[in-house]
Amino acid sequence: MRSEPEIRSALRTYVSRHAGDVAFTDQTALFSVRVLRSIHLPELIMLLERLRGAPIDVEQLRIGDFDSIDAMLTRFGGPHA
Amino acid sequence: MPDLAALTALGLRWDAYGQAGLTGPLLRLADDLDHAFQQLAAQWQAVEERPPATLPASALTGHLRAFPHQATFAIGLEPTDTNLGEFADGPVVGPAGSVVLTRTGPVTTVLTPAACFHVYAQRRGTQLTEAAYVTTRTTCFRREQHYEPLRRQWNFSMREIVCLGTSDETTSFLAEARAQTDDFARRIGLPLAWAPATDPFFRPHRQPGFLLQRVQPVKHEAMYGSLALASANRHHDHFGSTFDINRAGVPVSTACVAFGLERWLYAVVDRHGTDPGAWPEIALPAEVVTA
Repeated sequence: MRSEPEIRSALRTYVSRHAGDVAFTDQTALFSVRVLRSIHLPELIMLLERLRGAPIDVEQLRIGDFDSIDAMLTRFGGPHA
Repeated sequence: MPDLAALTALGLRWDAYGQAGLTGPLLRLADDLDHAFQQLAAQWQAVEERPPATLPASALTGHLRAFPHQATFAIGLEPTDTNLGEFADGPVVGPAGSVVLTRTGPVTTVLTPAACFHVYAQRRGTQLTEAAYVTTRTTCFRREQHYEPLRRQWNFSMREIVCLGTSDETTSFLAEARAQTDDFARRIGLPLAWAPATDPFFRPHRQPGFLLQRVQPVKHEAMYGSLALASANRHHDHFGSTFDINRAGVPVSTACVAFGLERWLYAVVDRHGTDPGAWPEIALPAEVVTA
């Protein structure tokens, strides 16, 4: 499992690949501003699973889990998060 | 909970394939309810559109990947004399009721799965200069594993109000439409509760659309008990991009509110009983809500 700073860095890198010219922070509502779209979710889930070293149960996903980089860290930042 | 005998006495004509015909009190109630939803749509000066029964399959590739189990295709026989002769001279229909097909022609159309798809397909490649509001009613077809009269049908009537605009315009539209739906339902004595919802995707865990519905508040359903009477759907720019519908150089955002008419019939009968004289007035509450 990667450390939280490593996961944060990897998420920033992933988001920046899709953000184009759109500025974002760790609090940006990434789906609302369309930096990320539904098509990115399967890939993002696999990335988080790899970074945290544990699977993500799709049935346990909740509204808001992917709202921002901070939200993703809070929800998936550790193997039991 | 009204049973089939009670609903039949009120004008339901149910068949085992999951289809409902209407006459008598239920038909009048369905017309009144649809008129009420048209009145809601008039709040946005929504343009009425009456679409055809089918959509080109080429316009629904993504939908068919996501919901192949629900699709109903329009097919025909290969139109050669030989093939038509083989069909006509054969059993035509087998003992179990299945058509004994010979060679079929290319399948290019799908029976409408959702009313609003026509709104986007008919605007493919257009440029909008301002928000557009459309209302449409059509028969929708969705295959299911089981059917229940008025609650879950192979085909059913869907009235929709659709907004094509900016993100802010679609957000405002959904908020207002949900509030008006609540108000109308309350005035006819139907308690509704809006809840986040997901569509019944095929292999959902692999479907980006399903995953988005789990983590973003893009779909809500107005629940009467366990029955969804309406849904409010935010598509962002998905249909704007898919159908190349633009405004000021960017794909439009879209949103829709959909009403399943048969389910409203069920709810009214369930709530107010099988005596049509005890059913609520429909027209006046709709006028009050939209006044």
